[in-house]
Amino acid sequence: MEESENGHEKLVIMVTHGPEDPELATIPFAMAGAAVASEVDVVMGFQGEGCLLMKKGVAQSVQAPEFAPLGDLVGTIRELGGKFLVCSPCLKSRHLTEADLVEGAEIVAAGRFVAEVTAADKTLVY
Amino acid sequence: MTQTQIEEATELDARGLLCPMPIVKTAKAMRELEPGQVLKLIATDRGSVADVPAWASSTGNELLESHEEDGTFVFFLRKGGEVS
Repeated sequence: MEESENGHEKLVIMVTHGPEDPELATIPFAMAGAAVASEVDVVMGFQGEGCLLMKKGVAQSVQAPEFAPLGDLVGTIRELGGKFLVCSPCLKSRHLTEADLVEGAEIVAAGRFVAEVTAADKTLVY
Repeated sequence: MTQTQIEEATELDARGLLCPMPIVKTAKAMRELEPGQVLKLIATDRGSVADVPAWASSTGNELLESHEEDGTFVFFLRKGGEVS
């Protein structure tokens, strides 16, 4: 991968599964955790059911076998500089607002997602 | 895996931690070390056998040695960078 302005590679990870599929909800966070630990800049994008993972308290209720607890991963990724972007229409259709989201989650729309993806070295979609 | 005598500056007990936490905790622990110092990592997650060498290679740190010991995986990692 090429390096971004701060010398780090940049990875975007799109998340479209939520608590209904604990494994596919957790794998993107495991990848993000490994990436931030490897000095890769990470942006996670949450769309569809994936946006529910950014609702306060939801991550703590999701546990996929043989993976670290999702609640721990969210905190660790945020601590190591990962960014969380959440789809605005996806939130509205689920009657969620910014007040419902975990600390650091930012509400964005399609244009911002496109900008992040086109600026990234690689994008993963789950 | 081979086994030799290496003196570590600090030890990280990652037993019981699941993917990807062993390398996350390793990355955080290495931040506290000076270049050239060695971290001893003990993990039980079998994925760490592949993860730790890959992490070391991609972050400029050096995996000096690794071995399996009573069902745990032990790694000695030297922090990269210029030694002052």
